[in-house]
This record gives sequence, structure tokens and C-alpha cells, in this order.
Amino acid sequence: MKYLFTVLLVLTVSTAVFAGGFQLNEHGARAMAQGGAWAARAYDGSAIFFNPAGLGFQKQGSVYLGTTIIMPKSTFYGPTNLGQATKNEMVAQTFTPINIYATYPITENLHVGIGVNNPYGLGTEWPSNWSGRYITQKVDLTSFYFSPTVAYKVNDQLSLGVGFNYVTGDVSLSRIVSPGDAKVALDLSGTGTGFNAGAIFKVTPELSFGASYRSSVKIDASGSAKFTPTSALFPEGDASASLELPATAFVGVAYKVMENFELEADYQYVGWSSYKELAIKFKKDNSTSVSPKNYENVYILRIGGEYTMDALQIRFGYLFDKNPVTDHYSEPLLPDADRNGINIGLGYKINEALHVDVSYLFLKFADRAVTNTEVQFDGTYQATANLFGINFGYNF
Amino acid sequence: MKYVNNILMVVTLLFVAGLTGCTTDAPADLPKASLNGVTINKYVAVGNSLAAGYQSSGLYKSAQKYSYPKLIADQLTAAGAGVGTFEQPYWSDPGNPDPKTGKAARYVIISLADPSNPVIGPKGETPTATSPENAATLARPYDNLGLPGAPLAGFMDTVGTYQGGFGAAIIRGAGGLPKSQFRAVKALQPQLVTFWLGNNDVLGYATTGGTSPAAPTPLATFTFLYNQALDTLKKSVANVKIIVGTIPNVTTIPFFTTIGPKVGAKLAAAGGLALYYQKKGESGVASGTTKFTNPSGDPLICLTGSPYAGLIGTATGKFYKDNGFPALPAGIDTTKPFGVHPQNPWPNALTLDSAEIAIAGQAVSDFNNAIKTVAAAQGAAVVDFNAIFTDINANGKLISGVKYTSAYITGGLFSLDGVHPTNRGAGVLANEIIKVMNAKFGTNVTSVDVSSLPALEIPLGKYMTSDKMLPYIAPHSWDSFLKLWQN
Repeated sequence: MKYLFTVLLVLTVSTAVFAGGFQLNEHGARAMAQGGAWAARAYDGSAIFFNPAGLGFQKQGSVYLGTTIIMPKSTFYGPTNLGQATKNEMVAQTFTPINIYATYPITENLHVGIGVNNPYGLGTEWPSNWSGRYITQKVDLTSFYFSPTVAYKVNDQLSLGVGFNYVTGDVSLSRIVSPGDAKVALDLSGTGTGFNAGAIFKVTPELSFGASYRSSVKIDASGSAKFTPTSALFPEGDASASLELPATAFVGVAYKVMENFELEADYQYVGWSSYKELAIKFKKDNSTSVSPKNYENVYILRIGGEYTMDALQIRFGYLFDKNPVTDHYSEPLLPDADRNGINIGLGYKINEALHVDVSYLFLKFADRAVTNTEVQFDGTYQATANLFGINFGYNF
Repeated sequence: MKYVNNILMVVTLLFVAGLTGCTTDAPADLPKASLNGVTINKYVAVGNSLAAGYQSSGLYKSAQKYSYPKLIADQLTAAGAGVGTFEQPYWSDPGNPDPKTGKAARYVIISLADPSNPVIGPKGETPTATSPENAATLARPYDNLGLPGAPLAGFMDTVGTYQGGFGAAIIRGAGGLPKSQFRAVKALQPQLVTFWLGNNDVLGYATTGGTSPAAPTPLATFTFLYNQALDTLKKSVANVKIIVGTIPNVTTIPFFTTIGPKVGAKLAAAGGLALYYQKKGESGVASGTTKFTNPSGDPLICLTGSPYAGLIGTATGKFYKDNGFPALPAGIDTTKPFGVHPQNPWPNALTLDSAEIAIAGQAVSDFNNAIKTVAAAQGAAVVDFNAIFTDINANGKLISGVKYTSAYITGGLFSLDGVHPTNRGAGVLANEIIKVMNAKFGTNVTSVDVSSLPALEIPLGKYMTSDKMLPYIAPHSWDSFLKLWQN
């Protein structure tokens, strides 16, 4: 009995904090408009995220900054294991992750840059009295990556880049605990470090290959668990957890079909299998609660293109994002499913120095019916998301 | 710029379309409640306190509203059954009075001043009703015929001997209505009957530590009565569908599993002292000793022992004073330390020792075999509550992220008397019955969303720590509860 509450507390609480649904790959409106297929070109400051080698081929210094407005919509029908088909709509929220990049060529071959962005973020919130309230009511996650980056153009065909990642993460989760129906709010934050590296090789002026890798980042997060109302029974107070953001890698190939028309296809790997379990330690009773996750490694397929007409560029793309959560571990904390995304966008050169990129992505999550789930909360999830990106670039 | 405008317009349109045009249809294959062509226009529950919605040692409306028969009736209605209003004998809160004090009999958590020793019991609430609120106006039998305290013999009883303490108020035979559960069912002519009796044929024996009554109902009597009950039911109600339930083993309920481990820990902390206790049939000097080292140990200590658990090691005769012994039994010396001296042993009425556990266990096993045999012969569906509670006792039950267990208070399934279910416990019972009904009769009735039922109220401000908790329930708090079995 001693650890019953502790176990119950985290049985589900932090299940999917850093899950696929919280991984963001929209870090620049130009790349986003092309399905995120950008690792073999990485022409702008977002190279710091997609492939640091991209900086090596850039001619000028630049500042590139923007945001993505994300409006997810999710519905859960269930719990079907109790024969229920109740429609539960997730509370509507809008998220605005940012991206800021500054790059500078020290020499023609040696480039430096720094980026700040949010590769993991978002949140979910369900109605306060819904029947999944013992699993989750609200979760919010923000992360900031600060990435000083160096790229070196070896020759006109090959560029190499490497970056360091200083990462901060904040997570807050709340749900109801039983028995007693108290509300628990868990707030954890911490930092971690990682690195990334990449290469771009131009076989011909028309054909280029790119590959990049970003290491996993282990975040030692600490904070508090707060119960309302509280009780001697609850492990109120200091809490900590070690969370590992998975490694990811891009491999892409780009081809100039015409002088003003380029296409690219990328394969992105995400090493979610490192997320086997989540262990939360509570200082009060020195207990650790371990909950199994057993995520799977997944991939994302990306294709996109860009057509240039004078000052205007028209972009389009498509992506398929395989979700890392197995049916058994599916839960409303993160309603994830395989996603198809359609992208469009425009770039407009206001003058030689200034340009603006806008993009739109519509994500459709496959309807997902899950049974015999770990938390005994089965049902069908439906979700879509609208994402709107805008970036301003200034070259110098 | 012409291009720009055109393209911007297209982008805008697509964006707007994306925002507004993507309302998705409800997914296919969602569960849909239906009776699948089975006709159910009347449902009647035959049972005891478990069916009545008796909870925390009392019968009161806010618990009766979530009795398992009522929950089943609601699910039947949702599936299209024309059962109408499912009539129950509601006692307005705070419920039935304790016969001695006149105050409401139900338990609440009275005090958590010491979180390790929560004080539980009736809190002196004044009852507002002495009979069910609609007893005078409802000119037909209730659909929920659960009679707290009734043994199997209560089904055919027209006199009231075996109808438990609420027979007159619920059956209302004196008011001109059918005089027994059986006659009421016959008058109502239901298509569906849940028949869960038999618990009290062993529970009264067990909850009084094997003292009152001194033995479970004899198997031959039980088998005869069970056969008679289902046979007459089938013959008297055309095409009736009957669902029966087996009897959970008494060792799986917190009434018997809460105090023992705490006493064991107390004795261990005192340097491994042995508990002297009276064995089956003994009332005088203890002849045996044992140590509580096993949480599911021998003897099991009844929850009625809670007020005495804190007195172990002190020179006290409180048990004998509380229970009105005219004189101390021969050889008992209450100047000796209670529980740890053979001349002042732990009383027989507060334990189930190995012999009594065996007797209760044998009765449960025999009764359950009889139930299954008779049910098979009569074409009744069987819900194996014994297997279900044995599993919950071992593994708990996870529902919508909540792990329910058979622990006292914190487990969420058992009310404060340690025997009867909470609202959510009743939800679990209802779901097990619905599952069997669907499998046996081909209906597609959906389950109760257990999380939507009100949870046991626990004042969290000073909550008890579950591993140290030794509840205190004052001796006479149990009078009304134990009276259930005093026929």
C-alpha cells in the first residue's frame, strides 16, 4: 500500500510528455511549406535545425525569425471498454513556437550561427469533469534549444556543420487522483545538452545530398508535486525525473528540375525506442514510480518543392509522420496517430535584403481505435491540426 | 503582382477550408447500446443488502441511487428497454435509524485528528424518515427487492422471519402487497431477474467471528432452497431470464483484512509478542497463541475489533463491559494485559480463526457449487463474483486510469463498513452482471462508466496514511449492522 498513491500518480501522468505529438518539426516557414524536406538544401537560417552544413553554402549573414501558429483539434470517443461512445472534445488551444536564427560568414568557408527554437512543445487539455480525468486533465510542455553552430565549406561540393544544443524544458501536468479526488499538479523543469552535425554534398549543381543527426538530450528535471487539497498520504513536495529526448536524423536528396524549380525528398528517423519508461522520484517518501512506455522508433517521409517566379516563390509539400505510440500505450495525454500532412506556402522578396515566407500545413491524424490499453481507457481518437507559419528574413 | 494576389487568394482559401471544412464524422464501429431484439419491459432485482444499495452500515438514498440494480436498470433503459421508472425503497438521507440510538446508522469519517487512527462511525445525524419515501404511494412491489440481512430462505418467506430488518418496510406485506420477494416477482412478471442471495447464509457467521449464528446454513438446506427458488421462479414467470451470482469468499473483503496486519505490525514492533486469542468455541482462557506475521493471516480479525486493537497490552476488560457480559467468563482476568496474556485473550467474537475460516470457506465453496449446478439446470446465467473478487483482491482492478483494490477506504470499492460496496463498487458489480447478460442472452447493453459515479467521500485535509492506518469504530456503532443477521 505504501507506494500505491505514488504509483497511481505517475502510472499515466507523464506518459507522453515528450512523445511524437510533442515533437515539432516546423522551424521555418520556407522549409515547412515544402513538407519539411530541407536537409539536402537548407538554404536559410533554419539550417541550424535541419542541417547545419547548409550554412556553409550560404553567401551572406542573415537573421531569420518567425513563428508557427498551431491549432490542434482532437476528439475522443469512449471509453469503449465500458461500452461508452461519448464524444469528448479536447479544449481548443493555440500554440506559437518560435524560431530565431542568426548566421554570419567569418570567412567565405567558415560560417557561424546561433539558433533558438522549440523542437518539443504543445499541450493537451480535456474538460475538467470528463471520465478520463484520472489519467489527464491538462499537460503543457515547452522546450527551448539554444544552438551555437559552426559550418565549414570544404569545397564547392561539400559542406560540413556541427552544433551544440543547450536545452531547457518545462513540463506541467495535472490530473485527479483516486481515492480522494484531489487534484495533483506536477511541475518539473530542467536542462540538458546535446549536439548535432550534418553534411551536404553537391554531386552536380543540380543534384545534392544531405544528411544530419541530432543527438538525444537527457534532461534532468526537478520540481514539485502539489496536491489540492493535500493529505499526509500524498508524496507532496519535491519531485524529479530524468527524461530523454530522442535522437533524430535526416537524409535527403534534392534535384533542380529546372533553373527555377527544385524538388526534395527526405527521410527523417526518430529514435523513440529510447523512451522505454518514465521514472519519477518523490523526495518525501523516497519512492520512485516507474511506468513503462515502450515507444517505437519511427520515421517521417517528406517531399516538397519550390518554384521561383521573380520575387515570388511558390512552395508545396507532403509528409507522412509515423507515430511512436503503440495501441497498448495509447492514452488521452497524447492522442497520437499516424499523420498525413499537406503543405503550401509562398516566399516573397521585398528587396535584396528582406524577404518574407508564409506557409500552411494541414495535418490529418488517422482515426485510431485502441483496445486493451495500459490505462484501461479504450476508445477512438480523431484529430486534425492547422498550422500557419510566418518568417521574416534579413540578409546582410 | 497579379500572380501574388491570385496565389495569396488561393492560399487564403485553402487555409480557411482547412479550418472550417474538416469537421470529421464520428468513427464507425463505436459501441451502440441495444437489446438486439430481446424484449425487456420489466427488470426486478432479488437480493440482500448488496442489491439494496446498503452502504457504510446504512440504507440511505444518496447511496441507493447507485445500487447495482439501479445502475443496470439505467443501462437497460439506455439500450432501449422499456423498464420505466425502476422503483426502489429510498430512505431519505441520512437514512435508516440505529435501533438503539435513534440516530442515523450510516458511517462517515468522523475525525481525522490523528490521521493514523481515523474515527469512523455514525455521527449522530437525525434521521428524517422511518420508512421509504414512496412506501405509502407506490401501490405495487418495488423493482429492487434487495432485503438487507436476508438469507436465501428470505426469498420465499412470507412471515418475515428471514426478511432481515427491513422486510416489513420493503416488502410491505402488511399493506396488502405480496408478502415475499417471490410473490412480488410473480406479481411484477419481469422478463429479467437478477437473483443474488446466499451471501448472508455465511456472512452472518463470519462477521460475528463464527459466533452468531454459530454455523453457516447447512448445505442440504441451501441446495434445496436454491433449487426451489429458481424452479418456482421459472414456473411462475413466463420466459424469465435469470442471472444469479456466486458468493465471494469472506477472506477477500476489508472487514476481515484491515485490522489483522495492523495488529501484527504492532506486536512485531513490541518485540515479536504473540497474540493470545480464543479459538473457535472458546470463551474463557486462551488455549492457543499465534503471531500475526501474515497479512492474510490466521486468525483474521474482524473490523469490529478496531476499538480493541489499540488496547492490546493494557489491562482492560472493555470488550466485556461494552458487550454487557453480566460476569467475566471463567478464568478471565482483566487485570492482565489484554491480548498478550492467556487470561485476558483477544475475544472469539472478533476473530475468524483457522477452523472458522475453513468452515466459512467450505460453505462458500459448497454454496457456489450448488449455485452453479442449479443455475445450469435451470438455464440461468451465472456471474462468478467469487472469482471476480478473488482476482480484485490479488491484482486490483484498473478502470480509466484508476486502480481499485479491496483495501479499506483507500481501495475505493468497499464502503466504510468493510463489507458493502461503494457507488463505484456497485458500478463494478453492475458491469460484471451486464457482461454476463450480454454473453448469455445476446443483448448489447453497455457498461457503467465507473468514473462518473460519485467516489467515497474522504475529507482530504487530514488524510490518513494508508500503511499506518488503524481505524477506530466505536463498539456500538456496529449494532445496527450486526443486527442484519440476527433473525
